[in-house]
Amino acid sequence: MKTFAISGRFVETPPPADWREHLARMLGAKPRRIGTWAELGLYGALRCMADAGEKMLPPDVQVWLGSRRGTYAATDTVLGQMRDDLPMPLAFLQTQPSQLLALLAAQLQWQGHACFVAGGEPGALLRLAAAQAGKDGILLGWLDEMSGGETRWLRLRPCTEMDGGYIAATAETLFTAQISHLRLSGMGLETRRAGQSALVQE
Amino acid sequence: MKPVYLAGRGLACALGQDMQGSLDALQSGGVAPAAFRLPGEMGGSFPYYAIAFQQKDWNERARDLVQRVAREAGAQHMRSGVLFVATSSFDIGAVEQGAAQMDYDAFSRKIAAWLDWSGPVYVINTACTSSLNALIAAHALLSAGEEEEALVLGVELGNRLTLGGFAALQLLSQHGCKPFGQHRDGLVLGEAVAALKLSTREPALWQMLGGANVVDGSQPTGASAAAVASMYQRALEASGLAADAIDLVKVQAAGSPGNDAIEAQGLRAAFPVMPHLVSLKTALGHTMGASGAAEIALLTACLEQGIWPHYADPVDGELGVSLAEHMPQSVRHVMATILGFGGSHATVVLGRA
Repeated sequence: MKTFAISGRFVETPPPADWREHLARMLGAKPRRIGTWAELGLYGALRCMADAGEKMLPPDVQVWLGSRRGTYAATDTVLGQMRDDLPMPLAFLQTQPSQLLALLAAQLQWQGHACFVAGGEPGALLRLAAAQAGKDGILLGWLDEMSGGETRWLRLRPCTEMDGGYIAATAETLFTAQISHLRLSGMGLETRRAGQSALVQE
Repeated sequence: MKPVYLAGRGLACALGQDMQGSLDALQSGGVAPAAFRLPGEMGGSFPYYAIAFQQKDWNERARDLVQRVAREAGAQHMRSGVLFVATSSFDIGAVEQGAAQMDYDAFSRKIAAWLDWSGPVYVINTACTSSLNALIAAHALLSAGEEEEALVLGVELGNRLTLGGFAALQLLSQHGCKPFGQHRDGLVLGEAVAALKLSTREPALWQMLGGANVVDGSQPTGASAAAVASMYQRALEASGLAADAIDLVKVQAAGSPGNDAIEAQGLRAAFPVMPHLVSLKTALGHTMGASGAAEIALLTACLEQGIWPHYADPVDGELGVSLAEHMPQSVRHVMATILGFGGSHATVVLGRA
């Protein structure tokens, strides 16, 4: 059984109209040449890190990123460019979802294990991440730019707390604001709400 | 931790449409790459290691190759284990033909249907290191006892977008693949479909001992020597081995002027005494997301049958490394490395029983 405390969370579905300005303020400059999907990921990850009170990722953290449609828009653009000529080099790079992992590594002054899982749902992403997580935990993101966009992030730290109060949960509840802990066992995903343990003990 | 065995393997690549065909072709000196023509001023004709399996419809061709490679790996009776599909280009070739919609879940369902797969399916895309990251993820699930069997399927099939993108970045050679070569001038890409069956209940000759993936953000399209060294160190720690226990490293050495030099620098930092090195890029080309699975499948078979690749171009003496011209006498521990886009550096460690 793997148990994690949620030390940081950021969820915007969809993000507000001025999210790019907010990202530029966090970075100190407007990001260039990285594409909307990666910008949205960077925005969510940095907000999640801020919520966790961290500026840099510890070395043993793993970054796990999932998406239903990924770099769809960038890929569509490049397919259009390819009709008569080679694509623009930077446009091609923007079709590669793993470019965001490198951007995060650079921005968070970190070097370590990061992985992109295409499609599925956040619970499946969490399963793979939990199986490999080390002592510094996970930065887990779910990201899409289609249909208004969504950027959902959790900073998870492994913990040994074994108190009760966990209930079976679905992947959809993973990012819910009231959840303080989650665990994966033979029963699947279970979550605990903040303060739930005390209520159960009473 | 349960031991995880490499219980089966299958391969279709430019050398051949199955493992024995590929080994026979390699023993006979390999195959010459085909040519791929790209439009535009910076386009032209580029060598390309295509699978000699003529079929116009991308989906039908992919289905036939996936099914025969999975069957060769012994996956015909696997329906409920975990399936990892590793790719950097998904089914973009089918999208280019108007026969798919750029939808990850639809791609995943399509592959699962081809294999009549009912267990969980994960699609991993970390560019060229996709297969190795799939192997590392599969190893974690199996060694922890969460699953007993996994199939890692590397799929990289022809499409204009990938070749055009690499050409636009001026990463391709127009002359040929020269790993660590004196006259290296770029990559030669290739197609592959490869399957590795992992099992905790089926002991086999090769055991996967561990691995590591290190993402570094300093070079978006290239490698970092510090990350290469860190990757080897982490993989050795994960496998419980010291550097001097490694007999052979299958390097990336894709023929890139800059990246090959960086990789050599990282190897020198990681290994005080350099193990034997081998590259399979002259045999397969760089098969991107499938390369980790394809090269492990071919390498382990080569080691078992005493077949070794040939390099036409002399190694660049300034790199301070060399490629083994003959198969080393005794190979017990092997590391298989792929370096890729997105600053991804990955390696896995295999032990021979």
